[in-house]
Amino acid sequence: MFYKLITRNSARSRKENGLFFASLLVSIIAFYIILALPRQDVMIFLDKMESQAVDRLFQMIPLFFGMTLLILFFLVYYAGQFQLERRRHEFGVYLMMGMRRPKLFLLLLAEDFRSSLLSLAVGLPAAVLLSELISLATARIVGMGIVGHRFTLSPTAVLWTVLGFLAIKLGAFLLLSGRIAGQELGALLSEAPKGARRRLAAPIYVISFILGLFFLAAAYAMAIRGLSWYNLKKMGTTLLLGFSGTMFLFLGLGSAIGFLVNHTGRNRRLHTFTFRQIQENIVLRSGSLAVSSLLLLAALCCLGAGAAVSGYFNRDSNVFSLFGKTDSHILDYTFPEYQEGAETLRQIESNDLGACFSQLFEINLGHIRTGDGQQGDFTMESVLEALEQAEASQDRDVLLNNLGYAVHPYLISLSGYNHLLSLAELPALTLAENEAAVYMNHEDSTPGRLELMNEILEKRPAVTLDRETFYLTGTVQTLNLVTDRAISLSFALIVPDQVFARYTQGDYSTYLNAVLNPELLRSRSLMNAIMDMNERLDEAGLEYESHLQNMGRKLFYAVAAGYLTVYLTVIFLIIANTVMGVQFLMSQQKSGRRYKTLIRLGASYELLCRCAGKQLNWYFGLPAAVAVISSLFGIRSLLTGILGYLTTATALELMGVSATMIFLLAVVESVYIAAARRSACRYLLTLMTPEREE
Amino acid sequence: MKPVLEINALKKYYGKPANPTKALDGITFQVMAGEFLGIMGSSGSGKSTLLNCIATVIRPDSGSIIMNGASVLKLKGAALAGYRGKQIGYLFQNFELLDNLTGKENILLPLSIQNVPEKESRKRLHSLADYLEIRDVLDKFPSQMSGGQKQRVAAARALILTPGIILADEPTGALDSRNAKSLMEKLSGLNQDKNTTILMVTHDTNAASYCRRILFIQDGMIFHELRRDMETESRPDFYERILNVTAHLGGGSANVL
Repeated sequence: MFYKLITRNSARSRKENGLFFASLLVSIIAFYIILALPRQDVMIFLDKMESQAVDRLFQMIPLFFGMTLLILFFLVYYAGQFQLERRRHEFGVYLMMGMRRPKLFLLLLAEDFRSSLLSLAVGLPAAVLLSELISLATARIVGMGIVGHRFTLSPTAVLWTVLGFLAIKLGAFLLLSGRIAGQELGALLSEAPKGARRRLAAPIYVISFILGLFFLAAAYAMAIRGLSWYNLKKMGTTLLLGFSGTMFLFLGLGSAIGFLVNHTGRNRRLHTFTFRQIQENIVLRSGSLAVSSLLLLAALCCLGAGAAVSGYFNRDSNVFSLFGKTDSHILDYTFPEYQEGAETLRQIESNDLGACFSQLFEINLGHIRTGDGQQGDFTMESVLEALEQAEASQDRDVLLNNLGYAVHPYLISLSGYNHLLSLAELPALTLAENEAAVYMNHEDSTPGRLELMNEILEKRPAVTLDRETFYLTGTVQTLNLVTDRAISLSFALIVPDQVFARYTQGDYSTYLNAVLNPELLRSRSLMNAIMDMNERLDEAGLEYESHLQNMGRKLFYAVAAGYLTVYLTVIFLIIANTVMGVQFLMSQQKSGRRYKTLIRLGASYELLCRCAGKQLNWYFGLPAAVAVISSLFGIRSLLTGILGYLTTATALELMGVSATMIFLLAVVESVYIAAARRSACRYLLTLMTPEREE
Repeated sequence: MKPVLEINALKKYYGKPANPTKALDGITFQVMAGEFLGIMGSSGSGKSTLLNCIATVIRPDSGSIIMNGASVLKLKGAALAGYRGKQIGYLFQNFELLDNLTGKENILLPLSIQNVPEKESRKRLHSLADYLEIRDVLDKFPSQMSGGQKQRVAAARALILTPGIILADEPTGALDSRNAKSLMEKLSGLNQDKNTTILMVTHDTNAASYCRRILFIQDGMIFHELRRDMETESRPDFYERILNVTAHLGGGSANVL
């Protein structure tokens, strides 16, 4: 009998609180996926290339896991509190019938444990499956191919998911049941207190609303003007303003809704009732609604920033070359320390590797060796003067600063660079004896800086190269010189080969660049081809840098940023929405008597469902709307603040990121609203059934 | 005179068929237009079941309920909601005002449910508020009203759409004697001056003495009927007669005078 009671009660709890149960499932899935990250194909692959960074990421996972466990604990505690409060009377009846308190405690514990096990039984297989799908999908997206994929189950991830989940459930349960068990029988048997909190005077709400708007506006202004990034104090002020502004706004929103009750849509069906319900819910739960809104904001910012970082590392290049083409991947291999005698070339030939490459060419880099090195070998006063006269901008200041230090620039031989241009299908450079072209690596060249430099170069400014006059010509060149992006030059000069030879006096470095034979790429991905080639080069004992290492580095940042931000986003979204959903449904049940009155006054089921749906739209919509507005400022501030040095996102790109975030949020919110609406309507249907009221 | 409401052989049994509890056991009566009918009976006599059947809260096992010539039991969906909202006005023992709505909003609630434009009933709202003396509390929330004011607001809500009949379920049950008297005077006045048809279930002999006719129910059947001659019989006299009957209720028909 006892066992039957446990089964029935736990099934009933799941049914009554389906939204909460579903959220627990999603959190189990999120736990497993983040914990099983080291088993993902792409991470196993990256571990070979960027082991240090990957290890650091893996060390951070427990931290993330612990943090989310803590947040989730509060959710479980909160939702559990509602569930137990609702059953107070039932517990009282058990005790009246002679059930001892320890037995009641055991009953509740068993119910909770049963529900937890069921969540794990459903959630874990789903998590493993989803984790595998993600692994396959990312492998496919990054071009690793899925042939080599093997099914992996991470026992440690399973173990920690189970332990973490059970720990928060048990912890919350012990605290909650302790509270219930300590109450008098009479208190349990009496109907749950209505929870009607004393309302404050109306002007307080109005003042609170205005204060909220004011604080938020101040926080937005500080964020958008970049003031928050000046120092910790300013940052703290911005966050405090934003937080308190949201709190005040939600406390005061009741007055705005009150205005709507009195001044709009009076002839719409159940308009007054609907808005009074919304008003009451918002006034009574302004605190948790504000927190939900802030969580939604956190989710939006995480996702926005994550998408931007991933996008940044994942794109080939953000710099548009002057010829209208992007600086895409053109080299597959670079053999460094390539010295005279063409030793590397000979080794390549002797190992039958020659046929593997369609192109093998040298690129020479060296310093000016003819000068005394005291005064500086290079001056470009005309360029600096032109820059000073240009319109003041951040780009101009950066250029002025960088070029001011360019007194010992690298020289690049024209023939090697032209080879790169031809690979990129760009027209070759032609330089006269006394001409040079400017080279700046693409990481340092924002479109604004390039434009500024090109304007100056149009006038063919004269510069001095070891006392000789040269004219800078053409446009700024930005193609990567070698595969390893770690070797990058913020300012260099491309000069004709004979000029290069004269100035470097034979003291220069040569890099042998190589492009894989397209034949090798047939029927397989670039990544696989390079991985195979690496093995052959390792066997031959050749030193090399491959495009893959470079790609791996970028990929790592993209994947790491992607995983962590998506994980946090999912957790924040779940918590915010579950809190709102559970709160709404509970408050609806507390208003059960009102709905019954409406039914007796002739309200139909459809009308009540519509009314509940409208309330839900507002209840979820208000926090979401506030979060969306805040996120427009938050994401922008994040991108320009934390990520400013990485990204050169334009306003258009930012708008794109925000629009995508808003769309995603709208989808998630509508799913939750639909789920909550279903539960709400199911509850209303139970009220429609006639009952005996003696 | 035309009957507003006809109840024919209404039956409602609870429990197992072998040993049923007969809440209503073939009850039959009519309510005429402009009548103030009281229904009295002890606890469990079936009077609330009867009222709930008429209000379509409970579905009877057999029999028929005819309101203005149409069968109530056949109503479904929108027609049923329309019946509840427009044809009957319900007065609850516990008022059942929505505590988050002001008095005025509570009174206008049926309009909002039935999608009737507010303008049409504004005049009626004011005349009802004046008649029931609740003008002062129209903008107050129920928590700021006295019990009597709450019940009068509830009465205004029941009357706002001029229903064919008012069903009152122990309307004085939650009121003190002064407020109960005042409410009954208002209901009686509505019946006499405005010809409002009222069907009231009550325990309260005093409240019942305002009725024109009283049906006593026991074990789901009508067991006695009292009529007051409005011309010749005073309310205190009628009250005495009711007391006499209620004193014998519960003891079976043998004890009735």
